[in-house]
Amino acid sequence: MVMSAAAPAFAGQPTDGAINFQAPATGSMRQIVDFHNFILPIIVVITLLVLALLAWVMIRYNRWTNPTPRKFTHNTLVEVIWTVVPVLILVVIAIRSFPILHAQERAPPAAVTIKVTASSWAWAYEYQDLGVTVNSNLLPEDQAVAQQRPYLLAVDNPIYVPVGENVQVLISSNDVIHSWTVPAFGVKQDAIQGRTNVGWFNVERAGTYYGQCSELCGINHAYMPIEVRAVPRAEFERWIVEQGGSLEPPAEAAAETAPAAAPAEAAPADAAPAQP
Amino acid sequence: MAADTVDAAHDHRPSIWDWKRWLYSTNHKDIGTMYIVFAIIAGVIGGAMSGVIRWELAEPGIQILHGLPWVDQTDPDAAKHAYNVLVTMHGLIMIFFMVMPAMIGGFGNWFVPLMIGAPDMAFPRMNNISFWLLPASFGLALISMFVPGNGTYPGFGGGWTLYPPLSTSDLHHGGASMDLLILSLHIAGASSILGAINFITTIFNMRAPGMTLHRMPLFVWSILVTVFLLLLALPVLAGALTMLLTDRNFGTQFFNPAGGGDPVMYQHLFWFFGHPEVYILILPGFGMISQIVSTFSRKPVFGYLGMAYAMVSIGFIGFIVWAHHMYTVGMGFDLEAYFIAATMIIAVPTGIKIFSWIATMWGGSMTFAVPMQWALGFIFLFTIGGVTGVVLANSGIDTAMHDTYYVVAHFHYVLSMGAVFTIFAGFYYWIPKMSGYRYNSFLGTLHFWVTFIGVNLIFFPQHFLGLQGMPRRHVDYAEGLAYWNHISTLGYWIAAVGVGIFMLVLIDLFAVKRRAGANPWGEGATTLEWTLSSPPPFHQFAELPVIKPDAHH
Amino acid sequence: MAAHAEVKHDYHLVDPSPWPFVASCFVFLMAVGGVVAMRGVLPASEDPGFWGHIVNTVLVKGKLPLFIIGAAGVVMSAAGWWLDVIKESRKGDHTPVVDIGLRYGMILFIASEVMFFAAWFWVFFELSIFHDVRANWVVPLWEGTDTAARWANWPPPNVETFDPFHLPLMNTLILLLSGTTVTWAHHALQQGDRRSAMWGLLITVLLGCAFTYVQFVLEYPHAGFKFGNNDEISTANLYGASFFMATGFHGVHVIIGTIFLAVCLIRLMAGQFTPKKHFGLEAAAWYWHFVDVVWLFLFTFVYVLPYLTMQE
Ligand code: HEA
Ligand code: HEA
Ligand code: CUA
Ligand SMILES: [Cu+2]
Repeated sequence: MVMSAAAPAFAGQPTDGAINFQAPATGSMRQIVDFHNFILPIIVVITLLVLALLAWVMIRYNRWTNPTPRKFTHNTLVEVIWTVVPVLILVVIAIRSFPILHAQERAPPAAVTIKVTASSWAWAYEYQDLGVTVNSNLLPEDQAVAQQRPYLLAVDNPIYVPVGENVQVLISSNDVIHSWTVPAFGVKQDAIQGRTNVGWFNVERAGTYYGQCSELCGINHAYMPIEVRAVPRAEFERWIVEQGGSLEPPAEAAAETAPAAAPAEAAPADAAPAQP
Repeated sequence: MAADTVDAAHDHRPSIWDWKRWLYSTNHKDIGTMYIVFAIIAGVIGGAMSGVIRWELAEPGIQILHGLPWVDQTDPDAAKHAYNVLVTMHGLIMIFFMVMPAMIGGFGNWFVPLMIGAPDMAFPRMNNISFWLLPASFGLALISMFVPGNGTYPGFGGGWTLYPPLSTSDLHHGGASMDLLILSLHIAGASSILGAINFITTIFNMRAPGMTLHRMPLFVWSILVTVFLLLLALPVLAGALTMLLTDRNFGTQFFNPAGGGDPVMYQHLFWFFGHPEVYILILPGFGMISQIVSTFSRKPVFGYLGMAYAMVSIGFIGFIVWAHHMYTVGMGFDLEAYFIAATMIIAVPTGIKIFSWIATMWGGSMTFAVPMQWALGFIFLFTIGGVTGVVLANSGIDTAMHDTYYVVAHFHYVLSMGAVFTIFAGFYYWIPKMSGYRYNSFLGTLHFWVTFIGVNLIFFPQHFLGLQGMPRRHVDYAEGLAYWNHISTLGYWIAAVGVGIFMLVLIDLFAVKRRAGANPWGEGATTLEWTLSSPPPFHQFAELPVIKPDAHH
Repeated sequence: MAAHAEVKHDYHLVDPSPWPFVASCFVFLMAVGGVVAMRGVLPASEDPGFWGHIVNTVLVKGKLPLFIIGAAGVVMSAAGWWLDVIKESRKGDHTPVVDIGLRYGMILFIASEVMFFAAWFWVFFELSIFHDVRANWVVPLWEGTDTAARWANWPPPNVETFDPFHLPLMNTLILLLSGTTVTWAHHALQQGDRRSAMWGLLITVLLGCAFTYVQFVLEYPHAGFKFGNNDEISTANLYGASFFMATGFHGVHVIIGTIFLAVCLIRLMAGQFTPKKHFGLEAAAWYWHFVDVVWLFLFTFVYVLPYLTMQE
């Protein structure tokens, strides 16, 4: 690993004992975290309300504090309230929720497009415009330990992406269904043979980000990790050249062709962009 | 008590050692008993499997799966496959052979006829085949674990959802075990469909004079809605399973992209069944909780009609939300937006139920017998599981949570605490009626608290694991996930002690034989089963009871 | 209220019966046998001893004994079971309220069958309605194939569908006619005209047989598409598979319905049906009408529409 020494310090991976999301590295993931920060208090309050009501009736209306039960069975006002208020809460949640989905689904023009193909049990990455192909396999335990990289997350050949630029991933599979996931990016798309799913991200912070296959794919499902290194443009280009790729078609041109390749509005499924 | 002894003397109840009484049974109570015994056995097996899962996940690395007797000790792949098999079978066993038989087959069979004042089910003989198909089905499922599945590795390891191409590809599951599992589920499905026909007919046709639909106890309502879901959802699963079978064995390509087919089409068919299925697993529990809360508050159910129709609408909406399990397959904005909205709506009728239970207790005079403890525990824990469901319903955030332990935590809160707590609540509520004996309250209370602490310790930390990104169905995990996994496994040991205490409760029950009397719960217990002796006569209601308009539920 | 008390209700408390248990045992055998036949539960054994012999004769791929024993047992138990039902009916156990219960049961059974066909139509519609969407997202991952072109049309190129206005139309007429003859039989029976009822039923059974003959013997062998994977145009295989599964399951239901009607014919001739009480016949007729309606859907969507959109 020539570049591993140069790998930036920030790491998108699980932290022992942590109780929340990994630190977001993209705008999409920040949206998700924000949404979670918004919905979590709501559901906590609802749960605590239920708990408080339970505690109250247990204290106030037990055999000792209320020996003679009352017999009422209806109260239209409260019934309307506990129907209407949840509806309102849900409407508020939905209003906050749809834009996130919208942002995830509408991939902006991409500077770099990577075709990701899963097979049991490894990921193949193709930078089609740049002529680079990378095969990522699990980094065996002894090597991971030797290199002090996280076993089960680290791969032998990580992929590189430029920081601050839109990256589009076109995800498919050669055999069973897999799922390409990087938690810190807020990206998870199933890799399904016969179709191409589109994901995109724009990494804001240089670093190494890990993910794992997230759809049961057989024996080595736990052993097909994903490692993405987000680096400054110059370093990214150096890496491309090192991998035998060429930067001939300038990034601008790639960006221009991308919108045409983005999924058409009308296609209900994530239409596969016609590959040039 | 007097009536009790008279009955016992004159009731021609066959001896329990008479094998024909069970094998040839046409008696709803005997069949219900067989279902419950079956569910307990399946629950212990499925619980033991989850023990192996948790034990394996206690620390990073693969530690114990090599030790399983049928797993090749020298081959790490054998252990990994064994893990997938265990997860798959744990899920299937808990759902199809524990919860469904306990709730519908067990309590449904016992108490639907008693509560509507009927002498038996509509089709008593068909009732028996509904039961006996289950051991056949369970047998096939168990055999499937020991015959070649993936290459020479035994068992099917593709998850309880049986997604193709993993389940159809010869490369991954070329062995017979997947075929055995398919037929096992076909048979379990047939058993449930026959049961559904039987329950609907019984409820529509055999209510005692005066028992209108709107005077039926809520437990009967809950079973009615549940079996409608079964009747309409299971045949679709049967179709999907048949397609898997022909894809595997007869050269069709329904789900094979190489032949133009589409694996996502299977997911649609499966979840069209699968989502109603999860409500099948909880609705009877809702019914039991209504009876129990009312009984121990000594107060009629609050908002009876709202409660009944909330279940009807949950059942109905349950059919139109299925694709919330498939947000990551690439459905596109419009479809996902629809499924978000439809899914979240279910929170409204469910909320009506939660709040009506609390309103039933409000102003009541509560006692905290063991069934009531489980019911109160249920209401709280189910709410936790329910609200995380609402989080998951939002496709945008589900991107981060799908197929992580957050989902595992969600569905264990609604299943392993929701459904299981209602089963135990129902068990303690009705066991005096079913056996004629009272349980030991101390042991029952202990069982509740130990289980309560255990399962929360197992599953609450799994939310954290999920948020940190731990994918489900992984046999091994990164160091950074060790802490909460360790805690989760600790919780399992406590829950396992809880199951042990439950066994003690059962032994104590039949060893000590405290007579229960017709109605151990007093004036709050108003449904018809409490008017009969405990256990009820072999054939009850030779003269049908008449329900008066002012009788409350 | 104890058991010695006189029973004052009209429900039917069925005597203990061996059939459910026996049938379940055979269902189990049949399932294992089916898997043996399709895949083999165990690999061939090298052990020359007794167990090796057993394994090699009943548990390796393609061996049929278990399946045959299981299936025969299931048929036997079903027959024994239904004979018991008939006996009970003749004994007078099927009081009016029980009769209503039987009606509910039959309607619900048919409802579940409808949902079973829903699965097959689901697949068929998904393939036919969204074929052009599919053409866009099915990427040519497989060398030398042009998936988009294949999905450009439904039915796929190279599929030569049946001419619906030939044998299928005839089968439609056969089924519609049989629907009227069974109604004729029913009405005749209600009027107490047993002779006409017998004729009506006999003709219905014969029409049922004719349908099966036309479908399985005259039509299927001449299909311009295949069921299995030996077709070089893979999307054509998908048309074939969904066609044969949907129409085949329907065909099986026709056979079951025909047997059901034939049994009713025998019972009618044996004088077991009266103008007032003949639920067996009514159930058979309901079932027959259900099979009929499914056929109309099949005819419209699986035969006619693909024929109209077929590529030359
Ligand atoms: C008993 C079973 C059961 C029940 C009842 C539920 C109930 C719900 N479930 Fe769950 N679910 C499962 C069993 C169940 N689920 C299983 C087994 C899976 C995983 C399958 C697999 O992949 O293997 C799953 C997965 C699952 C997913 C897919 C996650 C993923 O794979 O990415 C989703 C997403 O929408 C979801 C949503 C919901 C919702 C919205 C409810 C709602 O019905 C919950 C409604 C209840 C409440 C909300 C609480 C009470 C209400 C109030 C107190 C009122 C006020 C509340 C608000 C205003 C919010 N569930
Ligand atoms: C009802 C359903 C149910 C129940 C009760 C449980 C109970 C438990 N489950 Fe499981 N589980 C599933 C349904 C259930 N589960 C499903 C569907 C999956 C997904 C499978 C898949 O991915 O394909 C899953 C997956 C799953 C996983 C994820 C594995 C993975 O993804 O890699 C884990 C890991 O911890 C786990 C653990 C446990 C534990 C520790 C319990 C403990 O709570 C167990 C303790 C036991 C009990 C509390 C029950 C005792 C009950 C009885 C003895 C019966 C009593 C009967 C009567 C009184 C009549 N389960
Ligand atoms: Cu690849 Cu899981
Ligand atoms: Cu669901």
